[in-house]
Amino acid sequence: MDATAILQAFVLLLVAATATGVILTRDPLAQAITVSFFGLLLAIAFLAFQAPDVALSAIAVGAVALPLMILLALAKIRGGAE
Amino acid sequence: MDPLIPLTVAVPLLAAALLAAFSPFVTRRVIELSSIAVAAAVTAMCLLLLSGASEAPLVYWFGGHMPRDGLALGIAFVVDPLGAALAAFAGVLVTATLVYSWRYFDAVGVLFHSLLLIFLAGIIGLAISGDLFNIFVFLELLSVAAFALTGYKIEETGPLQGALNFGVTNTVGAFFVLWGIALLYGRTGALNLAQMGETLAGGPVDSLVVTAIALLATGFFIKAAIVPFHFWLADTYATAPLPVCILLGGVVSELGLFAFARVYWTVFDGALASSHEELRILLLAAGALTAVVGAVMSFAQRHLQRMLAFSVIAHAGLLLVGLGLMSPAGLAGAAVYLLAGGLVKASLFMCLGILQHRLGGVDELRLHGRARHMIFTGTLFLVGGLVLAGIPPAGTYAGKALLEEEANLLGLSWVTPLFVLVSCLTGGAVLRAAGKVFMGWGPPPGHSGGEEDAQVGQETTVERDRTPAVMFVPALVLLTAAIIIPFVPGLLGGSEAAAVAFADRPAYAGSVLLGTRHPITEARAHEWTVPTELIAGAASVIGAVALAAFTLRRAPLPQKALGKARTGAERVVGGLTKLHSRHIGDYTAWLTMGAALLGGALAAALL
Amino acid sequence: MTSRGRRGLFLTGAAGLALLLLWGTAGLPDFGDYQHLYGLTLNAESVAATRATNAVAAVTFDYRGFDTLGEEFILFAAVLGTALLLRAQREEEEEPPEDMAPDRRPPHDSDAVRELCLGLVAPIFLFGVYIVVHGHLSPGGGFQGGVVLATAPLLMYIGGEYRGLRTVTPEAPLELVKGAGTGGYVLIGLSGLWFGTSFLDNALPRGNAGDVISSGTILALNLAVGMAVAGGLVLLLTEFLEQTLVLRSRSRK
Repeated sequence: MDATAILQAFVLLLVAATATGVILTRDPLAQAITVSFFGLLLAIAFLAFQAPDVALSAIAVGAVALPLMILLALAKIRGGAE
Repeated sequence: MDPLIPLTVAVPLLAAALLAAFSPFVTRRVIELSSIAVAAAVTAMCLLLLSGASEAPLVYWFGGHMPRDGLALGIAFVVDPLGAALAAFAGVLVTATLVYSWRYFDAVGVLFHSLLLIFLAGIIGLAISGDLFNIFVFLELLSVAAFALTGYKIEETGPLQGALNFGVTNTVGAFFVLWGIALLYGRTGALNLAQMGETLAGGPVDSLVVTAIALLATGFFIKAAIVPFHFWLADTYATAPLPVCILLGGVVSELGLFAFARVYWTVFDGALASSHEELRILLLAAGALTAVVGAVMSFAQRHLQRMLAFSVIAHAGLLLVGLGLMSPAGLAGAAVYLLAGGLVKASLFMCLGILQHRLGGVDELRLHGRARHMIFTGTLFLVGGLVLAGIPPAGTYAGKALLEEEANLLGLSWVTPLFVLVSCLTGGAVLRAAGKVFMGWGPPPGHSGGEEDAQVGQETTVERDRTPAVMFVPALVLLTAAIIIPFVPGLLGGSEAAAVAFADRPAYAGSVLLGTRHPITEARAHEWTVPTELIAGAASVIGAVALAAFTLRRAPLPQKALGKARTGAERVVGGLTKLHSRHIGDYTAWLTMGAALLGGALAAALL
Repeated sequence: MTSRGRRGLFLTGAAGLALLLLWGTAGLPDFGDYQHLYGLTLNAESVAATRATNAVAAVTFDYRGFDTLGEEFILFAAVLGTALLLRAQREEEEEPPEDMAPDRRPPHDSDAVRELCLGLVAPIFLFGVYIVVHGHLSPGGGFQGGVVLATAPLLMYIGGEYRGLRTVTPEAPLELVKGAGTGGYVLIGLSGLWFGTSFLDNALPRGNAGDVISSGTILALNLAVGMAVAGGLVLLLTEFLEQTLVLRSRSRK
């Protein structure tokens, strides 16, 4: 097994572990942070599989835009509920 | 003719972008008129394509990337008569909806019009695309537009819940479709339907092919609301704004089935040719189950919008039975039934909109006898119920008759009784409602309000004493169209010929990849006015009327006579109602289970 | 359904589905073993044919540019839909949400955060433009660059300059940018129909592979998508911010 394959396998395991972490996080606010971390790892995984275009999209959407939307939605909900 | 093909999608999209960009600078009247004009123009373009494609399918390659030595590099639109007809039908419905909603919302913005045009472009793209990933893109495009439109009434929790259930389940469905595409791409290295079909036809039917068709079928069946993937539909359609329901109930649910049929007959039919019999059993079973569940639930509703929503599910089931016959004649019958059923359902939803507009609600019990003075709408609703039940010689009857004749030829004699039963229940439900609301028949309601009301959407709360012509005329036109369909010259024979071409995979592949011309030859549809069919049609209508009359009777029947049958029926309905829990977690659990079952059944059937 | 019943149903189904997926995936070719003519052909010819050195851009904006048109409109529809769902509600107009804790002041913004964020706005903006206009040469493109562009105003918000953000991103021009980008994609497609053989056909000079101004419509389409995505995302953000920040901006006045 060459170095690339080991790196790929390692990153995939990390992605799987983080994904499980996202699911196990019950508090939505904390989930916004873990999902952001998951997005970042996913981007690294895409990079390890030589797909830099997809990696860039994954960073932009998964690590920034999606968590931000969750945070803003939470702010809205809590603002209304208080 | 050729440039028209991309324009059918490009024009509505460009118009949507322009409307949104220039909305601050123009008046609402300009927006309304221009969106109606665009939708009507696109409809006309689709009709032109339909007439062009009725001689031979038209193939259009985007970006000038023609196939090279039979290898597709770009994306193709392949316009066949069935696809073009579906596109034109969607255009008609969107135009009618835009006219109809002229007066409906108190504060309708440009967003509604832009989204409707995007929605139309999505349906047209889906109907005539010849590329699997492109089909997925358009399916998502129209779904995203639909998610937003169904949640239009943000002041109430019911519609938002419905839109959320719609969004979650259908996004899961999209994910299934995407996974199926990925597997097929891994195997065939192609996304062009014809190319995939050619590659699969020469290869083995193994675990990958079975899983791919299972995933695609799951995704498309979620969109089409086939049991047990159907739960979201009732919640969504029962709470969405009624103008949106016209489109959802008229054409959207059927798109999932259309996509399944298109993908099956272009991609899988060659590889699975030897398993037709097994696939037929599977699809017929799923269709029959869906039809019965939808019909029974429809009859059990008192909230009219929810009643029609279940009617939509029942119709999806009947259409799947049509596809499941796995023959061109079955496809042709399903196409006629899709068209006629879509028109009548759209018209009925329009009637509900008029009720909502005039009386501020669509609950059968609360409206009891309150619409006695609305003679025209009442007549329309009543006739709509009869057409829904399949009264000869309306289009719904013709579609069912074609399907029943084909089923009888295939030795499937249980199809006719199934169709009669489903027609009795769905038509009877509408007739019963007509009797209660417009005639004041039946026992007056002992109580009103209750649990249903929380789900009832109300765009307008004031009682009004006039029905605007823009609401009544489209409903009348659509219902008339549903009735006269079988008498349109060439329509029945044309759909038979179109279905033969639709199901001819080698010819499709040849015209797409090699540019050979495969003329569509004339064909004759089954006889649809034979005595057996007329009897079945009459039985449907009489049954529907009898069911409605039975529930509308004033004097209670002697308990002994029907006691047992009645408690049995109540138990079944109660159990079914309990399953439709409006809990998104339940729906997802059913969905997962359904996907696994469908996969297992397909594995058993195909290997 | 009871929650136990639901869990049982789901877990049974999920186990079956997992088996199905594993079984199906086993039919895929081995990892890295690519034999298909489609990819091999594109790899061999795409740079020469499109003059885009990024083969991914050649696929997404040329060979399969029509898909990207649909995807751009999915984003457009999502932004419209969000605007529809987050529009001002009736009761909000009559009775704006009040600060429930009038004695609570918003936390003082740290100067370090403020300076850092505001200092980053210009570089991030430039970086976004870079990614958009180099989409045909290197990884990135209109979509990714558009998102980066949209984060520049976001930094202003994090830096505490919400009102400054509203001044540099007024709604009507943003609508125009988004509309021009989205409609522009269709118009470029139509130019192919007019000047070339078919919709989305390349109607511009291709130039030399590797130049910033090259690859014909691929660059133009990237610019259109960049505008649409940046405009759309900023609008989306302001929709959300308008909803959530009424409290904060009110207490500051």
